[in-house]
Amino acid sequence: MKENLTLIQRLNAHPDSRCWFVGWNPNGTLLASCGGDKAIRIWGREGDSWVCKGVLEDGHQRTVRKLAWSPCGNYLASASFDATTCIWKKKNDDFESLTVLEGHENEVKCVSWAPSGNLLATCSRDKSVWIWEVDEEDDYECVTVLNSHTQDVKHVAWHPTQELLVSASYDNNICIYKEVDDDWECQATLQGHTSTVWNLSFSATGERLASCSDDRTVKIWKEYLAESGQGELIGDISWKCVCTLSGYHGRAVYDVDWCRLTGALATASGDDAVRVFKEESSTDPDQPLFSLAAHMPKAHSQDVNSVAWNPKEAGLLATCSDSGDIAIWRFQEQD
Amino acid sequence: MALETDDNDMFDCILMADEKFRGEGYQEGFEKGTYQGLQTGRKHGASHGAKLSTEISFYHGFVVTWKCLLQHGPDPKLRKRVKALESFQYLIQNCNCDDPKSAKLQEDMAKLRCKFKQVCSMLSIQTDFKDYTKTSQAASF
Repeated sequence: MKENLTLIQRLNAHPDSRCWFVGWNPNGTLLASCGGDKAIRIWGREGDSWVCKGVLEDGHQRTVRKLAWSPCGNYLASASFDATTCIWKKKNDDFESLTVLEGHENEVKCVSWAPSGNLLATCSRDKSVWIWEVDEEDDYECVTVLNSHTQDVKHVAWHPTQELLVSASYDNNICIYKEVDDDWECQATLQGHTSTVWNLSFSATGERLASCSDDRTVKIWKEYLAESGQGELIGDISWKCVCTLSGYHGRAVYDVDWCRLTGALATASGDDAVRVFKEESSTDPDQPLFSLAAHMPKAHSQDVNSVAWNPKEAGLLATCSDSGDIAIWRFQEQD
Repeated sequence: MALETDDNDMFDCILMADEKFRGEGYQEGFEKGTYQGLQTGRKHGASHGAKLSTEISFYHGFVVTWKCLLQHGPDPKLRKRVKALESFQYLIQNCNCDDPKSAKLQEDMAKLRCKFKQVCSMLSIQTDFKDYTKTSQAASF
């Protein structure tokens, strides 16, 4: 296999525990991780290496499953199995707990900030998706509770430019929500995966969405705007699966991240490997082709849970695993 | 010839008795079963209808009380809350509870339960209302 994914550094981030998630802040200078040890760690670069800059403890009583940086980079939200979501505010070089969002009946699985920074979405094993509104005084108010899934909701993600929310669930479906007349509604349900959908990632423009699943595939969905005879837009949202990457992953695919700078697609899998896919140039936009550009078997000693492209430095990739460690990689294209 | 017919009738009578009684028995059983089914159905419907009614009435009382408590005040945050209560009230009033067979009833109830959660979160009410809201959720029709 091509050797164009090189390890820069490995960090024993959450010893004796699982590391569930890694996420870069918007300007790519800090990396946040969380895990089964109920802690959140902030990593920064010092010279050539990455070091721990801070540990946020005492925020949660159970596993911290996912994190989300606000678009301004000054807030960090953490979703935990203790049924709460914590909002942390950056103060100088430290973070302080600002508020705790309660309401979900059990484990909160994911949290995501809308691009405007005014809305926050959370989802839970209680099958619901909640949308919170943030005001100037850092007050959070729930604006809607959505119950479109029939099972555990694993992931929520916002469209990069519109106020459009997507969610993925154990019921094998993806739901798309939009605000209509002051009320949030599920506008479309994408069916196609044959097992749990673990994660979702929009392309830079938001015209396409990648989903990964326990069925060992990655699917690419494309938005088609329903047009009337005169070419006017009708309100309905229509997304179709235009590509399925199957046969590459030996186990469930837990995470997929679409690089906003290069368009490369990275995946994290239960087969301990990290893979990078590139879109073949000059393919039909309705039938795009992706090829495996890099494959790192045994990237970690156990399941790879999360993968994240640095938003500013093209090719810099962070991954984390059930083994508790984080790996920082450089992806270089071979000509 | 007449004798032959009579003989035939007699034998017919014996031979057909089995079928005849079975038919009557079936009819009788069917009627009793129908009656009993109706009774059970009525009990089931009444019990679940009462639970559903309890839940909706609870929501109604909740909204009216909270609207009274919050109505006065210029605070924009308060107004937002009153607005949420009003939209909850609208959902309650338009809940399709007159037709228990309607699929829309389930949909409406799901909406009510979601709205209730949102309103509770907005008003920072953490009290456990499970006794009121969970009872009718297990209803299977």
